[in-house]
Amino acid sequence: MRKVWLVVKREYLTRIRTKGFIFTTIGLPLFSAGLLIFTMMLATRQSDHTLKIALLGDASFGKNIAAGFTEKLKNGQPLFQLVRTLEQPQSEQGARDELAGQVRRGLLDGYLVVPKGVLEGKAVEFHTRNTSDFQAVSSIRSAIDHAVISRRLSARGIQIDNLSELVRGVDLTLVKVGKGGESEEKGQTFIMAFAVVMVLYITLIVYGVATMRSVLEEKTTRIVEILASSARPFQLLSGKILGVAGVGFTQYLIWTIAGVLISTYGAAAAAAFRPGASVPQFHIPLSLLIYALLFFLAGYFLYASLYAAVGAMTSSEQEAQQAQMPVTLPIVAAFLLYPAVMRDPSSQLSVVVSLIPFLSPILMTFRIALQTPPFWQIVLSLALSMATTVGVVYVAAKIYRVGILMYGKRPSLVELLRWLKYT
Amino acid sequence: MDAVVLEGVTKRFDTLTAVSNLSLGIREGAVFGLLGPNGAGKTTSLRMIMRVLIPDEGSIQVLGEPVSERTQDLVGYLPEERGLYAKMKVREVLRFLGALKGLSETEAAQRAQSWLERLELAAWSEKKIQDLSKGMQQKVQFIATVIHKPPLLILDEPFAGLDPVNAGLIKDIMLELRDQGSTIILSTHRMEQVEMMCDAICLINKGCNVLNGDLRAIKQSYGKNTLRMEYSGDGDFLEGTGLVEKVNRFGAVVEARLKPGADPQEILKAALLRGVRISRFELVEPPLNDIFIEKVAGANA
Repeated sequence: MRKVWLVVKREYLTRIRTKGFIFTTIGLPLFSAGLLIFTMMLATRQSDHTLKIALLGDASFGKNIAAGFTEKLKNGQPLFQLVRTLEQPQSEQGARDELAGQVRRGLLDGYLVVPKGVLEGKAVEFHTRNTSDFQAVSSIRSAIDHAVISRRLSARGIQIDNLSELVRGVDLTLVKVGKGGESEEKGQTFIMAFAVVMVLYITLIVYGVATMRSVLEEKTTRIVEILASSARPFQLLSGKILGVAGVGFTQYLIWTIAGVLISTYGAAAAAAFRPGASVPQFHIPLSLLIYALLFFLAGYFLYASLYAAVGAMTSSEQEAQQAQMPVTLPIVAAFLLYPAVMRDPSSQLSVVVSLIPFLSPILMTFRIALQTPPFWQIVLSLALSMATTVGVVYVAAKIYRVGILMYGKRPSLVELLRWLKYT
Repeated sequence: MDAVVLEGVTKRFDTLTAVSNLSLGIREGAVFGLLGPNGAGKTTSLRMIMRVLIPDEGSIQVLGEPVSERTQDLVGYLPEERGLYAKMKVREVLRFLGALKGLSETEAAQRAQSWLERLELAAWSEKKIQDLSKGMQQKVQFIATVIHKPPLLILDEPFAGLDPVNAGLIKDIMLELRDQGSTIILSTHRMEQVEMMCDAICLINKGCNVLNGDLRAIKQSYGKNTLRMEYSGDGDFLEGTGLVEKVNRFGAVVEARLKPGADPQEILKAALLRGVRISRFELVEPPLNDIFIEKVAGANA
């Protein structure tokens, strides 16, 4: 045990001190938080001046549109102002050129061209320099919409004072029926489940490959010859896998804390920028965390030991890159299956794939996050997964034990099977 | 007492028998040369002594007890292919490897420090291994081998790549450890090193013990059948005498194996007749190099 601990400690400490670890662990949350705040600030920033709009077309229709310009700037001034209407210019092209020139010179912010058949569905044009101010564009669109609708209604003899009251859409509130009662759904269940899948997917691959590289490094530098003469191969292997796992846990601990801080203060920040903005609240159930942890551990030991075996049976980085394919494949397959499981988490397909050991760490956790499956399925899946892990670790340890002392060409499958019989 | 005893040890890999029914004893406190051509089974034998591999047949004892995890800590191993964790600091590597051999981490750190001072590497203890020159890395690796003061040292080509000054430094430490009671197994292809350092040898070929015993006794058994000469003049006169089996030229020195029963005085006479000027004329035991070639080439022929 002492020797395992020494290996764990070395693996953990040397990894945690690398620039790469510090960068991804501390830099990544800071960067994403910064990006989030920055885009939020930009997106919610309103224009700081009233946008001057001209109109080429029917003046009374223009009045209808202007009536729809209800949005105000922070200082109380209107967001849009219809400054000019050209009803019947001598030449339409000449009027367009003139208005375009004014927009170019900054005298106007844009102009609308309303054709005759607008009520019958002809398109209205909006010419402006800045076509990516989506907020302004959507305000213009809704003002035109309202103008067209009220025109059509009045043509049928209906007069409406407060059109926006009439055409307001209906809010559809989704309520998720779960074990613990009903809760309002704002997409957080999917976001959470997807996040769990992403985290598992990335962790299994990233830390699996890290384990493989670490084994390979010891092999190519031949230090493994000294290690093998100082400790049992199984001690070396388990120490390495636990050490890398420790690095992973440290990283996720830091990220979780950062995530909690960002979502707490982030919601407050969002509220400060846009009062009334609704930020979905994430309540990750404790049971999900525990299940995710159990499945992660089973999956991590399964894949990390396989990756370690790949590192042990190869002699160079390129060889290892090729040889890891069959190990990475099931992880990718599990990831690609998530949309099918999402559509119906309790379908036969979903149940079957979430019981298959190599897929279950990702897919059963996904199902649990989406809607709690029957308890027996969770237990069966976990039991199958753990039993497989024990078997795979046993085989991987044998391959590791022989592989670390073998140099030269990569063993064939037949040779690998023979390795299992070596003492 | 014997520090290492192998009895009827056999190790197979699939169809290849790497070591076949090998028996030998290594006297405690000796410098023992394990010799053999490439692929003879030397590394496999050493790995079995270190319990990296388990023999298929036979038994191995190290310092009086069967090999086990406990005996692993009694061995210090310097592999032929060198390498350390490139990104770790010198001090950390030594502390880790020392602790892995059973020292407490504080003890390992202290010993590392005094060894680094002795090998003039103290200024580098906080540097990463990758920042050291190759010779310095070799010295660090040597420290890692001896840091736990192992009663049994296994050194595979310990002088490879070292300049004469550093090679001398390592040699002095080896002999010092031997004087303090450590047993040293030296595996090398440099026969002159074996002749200078080893008390006993074992020559293995194709996994079998072909020559084993006290080095002096082995050489004496061949008798003084070799002529070592330095001379100037007609270079080929030796072959002309018809009294030598083979001639080995090293530039300045020439070694010639006498035919059985040949009288060296006849050669001296022939040299004088040919006007060859002799500055050295010595009858010696055959060099280990010749014995090695004879045993291995003879068996493989």
